[in-house]
This record gives sequence, C-alpha cells and structure tokens, in this order.
Amino acid sequence: MGGAREAVARIGEGPDVVTGEDAPAASAPAGRTSAGWKVLPIVEGLVLLIALVLPWILQDYLTVFATRVVILALFALSFDLVWGYAGIMSFGQALFFGAAGYGVALMARDLNVTSILLILPAGTLIGLTAALLLGGFLLLGRYPSSVIFVSLGTLTGSYAADRLARGWYYLGGQNGIPSIPPLTLGSYEFEEGPVYYYMVLGILVVTYLLCRFLVRSQFGLALAGLRENEQRIAFFGYKAQHLKAIIFAVGGTIAGLAGSLYAFHEGFVWPNMLGVVFSTQVVLYVLFGGSGTLIGAVIGTVIIEGVSFWLSDNYRDVWPIILGVLLLLVIMFRPLGLVSFVLGERERVGSFGKEPGKGPSKAPKKEVGNAAP
Amino acid sequence: MASTFAAVFEIVSFGAIIVLVVLGLGIIASMMGIFNFAQGEFVLLGAYVTYLAYAHGAPVWAGMVAAPFVVGAIGFVLEALIIRRFYAAPIVAMLGTYALGLIIRESVRGLIGGFYLTVPEPIGGSIDLGSVHISAWRFTIIVITLLVMGGCYLLLSRTSFGLRVRATLENPALARASGISTPLIYGATFAFGAALAGLAGALIVPVFSLFADLGIRFLIQGFVAVMVGGVGSFIGPVAGAGVIGTLSAALPWVMSPVVADVLVFVLAIAFIKFRPQGLIAGKGV
Repeated sequence: MGGAREAVARIGEGPDVVTGEDAPAASAPAGRTSAGWKVLPIVEGLVLLIALVLPWILQDYLTVFATRVVILALFALSFDLVWGYAGIMSFGQALFFGAAGYGVALMARDLNVTSILLILPAGTLIGLTAALLLGGFLLLGRYPSSVIFVSLGTLTGSYAADRLARGWYYLGGQNGIPSIPPLTLGSYEFEEGPVYYYMVLGILVVTYLLCRFLVRSQFGLALAGLRENEQRIAFFGYKAQHLKAIIFAVGGTIAGLAGSLYAFHEGFVWPNMLGVVFSTQVVLYVLFGGSGTLIGAVIGTVIIEGVSFWLSDNYRDVWPIILGVLLLLVIMFRPLGLVSFVLGERERVGSFGKEPGKGPSKAPKKEVGNAAP
Repeated sequence: MASTFAAVFEIVSFGAIIVLVVLGLGIIASMMGIFNFAQGEFVLLGAYVTYLAYAHGAPVWAGMVAAPFVVGAIGFVLEALIIRRFYAAPIVAMLGTYALGLIIRESVRGLIGGFYLTVPEPIGGSIDLGSVHISAWRFTIIVITLLVMGGCYLLLSRTSFGLRVRATLENPALARASGISTPLIYGATFAFGAALAGLAGALIVPVFSLFADLGIRFLIQGFVAVMVGGVGSFIGPVAGAGVIGTLSAALPWVMSPVVADVLVFVLAIAFIKFRPQGLIAGKGV
C-alpha cells in the first residue's frame, strides 16, 4: 500500500525531479532527455530501491501483499514482452500462468514435490510448452494469422482452460486445489514474508535484466520492427511468424515461472488463475503502466494492485468502475501509459544492440539535437 | 421419440438464443470491423431494462419492447463519444470496448448487488404436443429470432438504408464522395447492433435470470461464432452462430458436458485456423 502511494507520488513529481537535475547540465539545448541524463535508469533504480526497502517499512501482512504484487509484476512483464514489444495481443496470457500453477500444485499434491529446485524449472517448462503449443498453432502456418484471430484464439484458449478446470474433478473443480505446502530448499521452508519476498524480488530483477537485454538486442530491434510494420520486416528477410512464435514462447515461459511462484505463495490455485479474469487483469496492468517499456508493466501492476488494495475497505464496489474509466482515459488519451508522463518517446524506443560510440563520455552528437517533444 | 423431440427442441432453442445474441455482434464486426467487447454488456443492459420495467410495475413485455430502443440509444451515444476514436486500430478498439464493458458491467453489478434476480416469462406455461411439453416462452424466442433474422436481412438487402450501410462498408471513401454521411451510418449501424443485443438480453432474461455476468457467458461464444461464420457478411455470423449454438447444445447429449464445452472451442479455433475466411466467405449481405 505504502509502495503504491509512493509510486503514485513519484510519477506525479517525476518531470520536476528530472528537470531539476537536468538544469545544471543544460548547456546543451534545453530538453528533458538531453544526452547526459536518461530518465529510464533513474525510474528503474527508484523502483528497485523502493522494492528493496519495502519489507522494513511495511507490516508483515503487507509484505505478504507486496510479494503477491511482485509476482504479478513478473506476470505483467511476460505480457508486456508479447504485446508491448512484438505487438501480439495475447488475451490469454493467464493460460500459461494458470497452467503452470496447476501443474506445480499437482506435483505438490500427488508427488509430494516441493523443492524449489524442481518446482520452478517445472513451472517454467509447463509455461514454455503450453506457449509453444498454442503459439505454434495460432501463429505459425502457411498463411500469417490476423491479429484478430490471434487475440481471439488466445482468449478462447484461456476461457476453454478455465471451463475445463472448473468441470474436471481431478483438478478440484470450482474450488481448485487448496492447501499447497510451502516451497522448500533442502529442509528450509519458504514461508510467506520477507524471505519469500526477497526471493521473488530477486527472480523479478534477474528476469527483468534478461528481458531488458533481450529487447535491446538485435532481436529486440527486429521485434520492434515487427510491431511497427510486419510486412516490411518480412521484406527484409526475417521470418516474422517465427520471431512472433519465439517471443510468445518466451512470454509463456515467464508467465509459467510467475504462475508457479504464485501458486506456492497463495497456497492454492483456482480456475480464475487460468481464465479470462487474470488474462484481462494483466492487460490492464500493462496498458495502464505503459506497454513497450518493461518498467511500465511493473509500475502498472504496483499502482493498480496497490490502489485496489487501498480502496478495498471502503470502495470495493466502486473501484472496478473507476478502473474501467481510468483505463478508457488511458487508452484514449495516453496510449503509451503512465510512464509516458516521465519518459520521452526517444528513450522508450531506446537504442539497440551495441552502441557504436560507446566511449568514455556522452553519446554521439546526433542525440543532442534530438530534444524531447 | 418424445424425448428425442424434446432434445431437438432444447438444441434448437439454445441455438436460437445464440443466434439472437450474435446477430448484433456480427453486424458490428462485419459492417464496421470492430470486435465489440462491450456487446455482452449491451445484452446485460437489455436484461436490466426489462427487469427495471418489471420491478416498477410495468408489464414484462413493455420492458422487452423498450429494451432495444434504450440500449440502441446508449449505443449511439457511446459510438459518437468513444468508439469513433478507435476505428483506425482494431486491437485498440477491442481494448477500448473492453474497458467500456467493464464500466457498464460493474455499474450494473453495483445497482443490482450480487444477486440473481428473476423476471417472469411474459408468455408462461407450456405448449402440449401429444405427450411432449415444450416451454411456450422458449418457443416464442425461436419465432422472434426467425422474425428478427428475416427483418435484418431485408433491412440490409432491400432498403436504401441497407444499401448505404453496405456501400460504407465496401468503400468508405467512395461512399462519402457519393454523399453518404459515413459517420452517421457508422453510428446508426453500431446503435442497431447494440439494439439487437438489448433485445436479446430482454428476451433471455426470463430464462437465465439477471446477474452481472450474464453477458460474458455469451461474449466469447459469440466471437467464436462470428469468426467461424466469416466476418464481412450478414449471413456468415448467423450461420456461424447456428453451428456453434447447435453444437454446444447438442454435444452434451452424447458426451460429458465438460469435454463437450471445451471441444466446441477447440474445434472452432482449429476450423478458423484452416479456413480463416469462415464458413461463408465474401462481402455483401
């Protein structure tokens, strides 16, 4: 909760902070993102800093809540890769999240496997496999699939899985699988609380860095091209469908990782985890925070979950309506999400691969003249 | 024999309900290229208007008559204020209409609470055919569905309004050059689709009772039906709805309902994958 409020405040005062820091160095043409200062690392650093100190500030039950938010942020990251970077509208991202959750829950229930060294790889593998199967089916083939088909196909897949889980006795039906034992490492048990929080945060940071590397590589450049103009990328000789399938599988993998962490953190899995509820929830996080920036996904998750937790006592009924209105406003007037208030377009797009003039000093001259709008 | 007949009636009446719900979705998707995620909520609004009329002492049928007009008017306003901005990008339109649907659904949920509210059938009782009894209201739904289908077809294929709509669909620039006000046509088409959803909601509320998630249940089925039938024509989505509705009502008679439920979706997606243009390809009516 505190984290959310701080995050809101920070976003609000973002531009001032930046211009404040920028002012002394403004010998170059005025502009928030002149060559020397980049906002993105500052935002990322701040978020990380807040995340690191959070368990010391919060009470125990809030740390548990914060852990859940961090796991959901990991999930949001997976959707952001797929939609924000490759332009594939995966309306069924929860399928991978939930499938991994159910898979590891079954491992714990029927095989008594709770070791983190087995659970996390298993969950990741389930997510990867499911995403390869679904993505391969929807995206590959002789003719390129339309965006509408892919989005409705993923949505339908997630919905069908939800229905299957609800009706299948082995999976616990409507109630799901309750009382999953805690994750273990040797004889140590990961209970809810600061330890679980830092473990999850560590995983999030590592995944985030990997994703950041990925989207800033040549592969990421091809993805960005795909998102902007698929035909042109195809004319350059890229296999657009293959690129899409690969990033879809990567997204599924991360969602699977998040799903297995979530299952063990909550201690139970239930059909909503697979279905439209979670699938649309993650879309909200990313659109709200800002798709196409990894940090946007994280910030969106923190804000939406934080505010909804904060309001849940008094305004539980009104909150979904407010959420809908905010989302509509964001889509209509701020398609790039909240981070676009502090992040210039140039930084959002970023630079790819190895920077050519990566010398000791600042970036090459051409960047200087390119002030933010 | 009697039970077979009852089963067939059951299947046909469910198919009719799906067709009714999909009609509006299909018209909006085919004529405007928008997959309207708020369509389920228009169904919900139609049901809610009927309930309101009933709760305030008006006869149920009066609510049912009013529902399409009220929902159509709401649709017209929403199109002019919001939907209009989304035409350029179909995915953004999906997200925008999803947000819109979220607002409507949660508002209705706030108004009715978490209850299941029942509305009586305006035509109660059953029709007796020898030893078989079929619900009179479900039979009425089938008849109305057929009438509405025929009416829509005639409207789109035989009237000057239909001609304008089709012209706008085929070539907006040329339609504008010919003096057709395309924004008005888009608005009217969207309102018409919303009105059909409102009618569907009004008619099915006695069968399913009113609850906030009434619309969602049909939304995904509706999308799948539209894709199976083929976007771009009027007949396509109707045919798709017939197939999907019949399948989802018929399969549970021969296999476990859970498997049937999922199988319909899997079959549908596989079908669309290998025949993206749908059952009935091509534009026109």
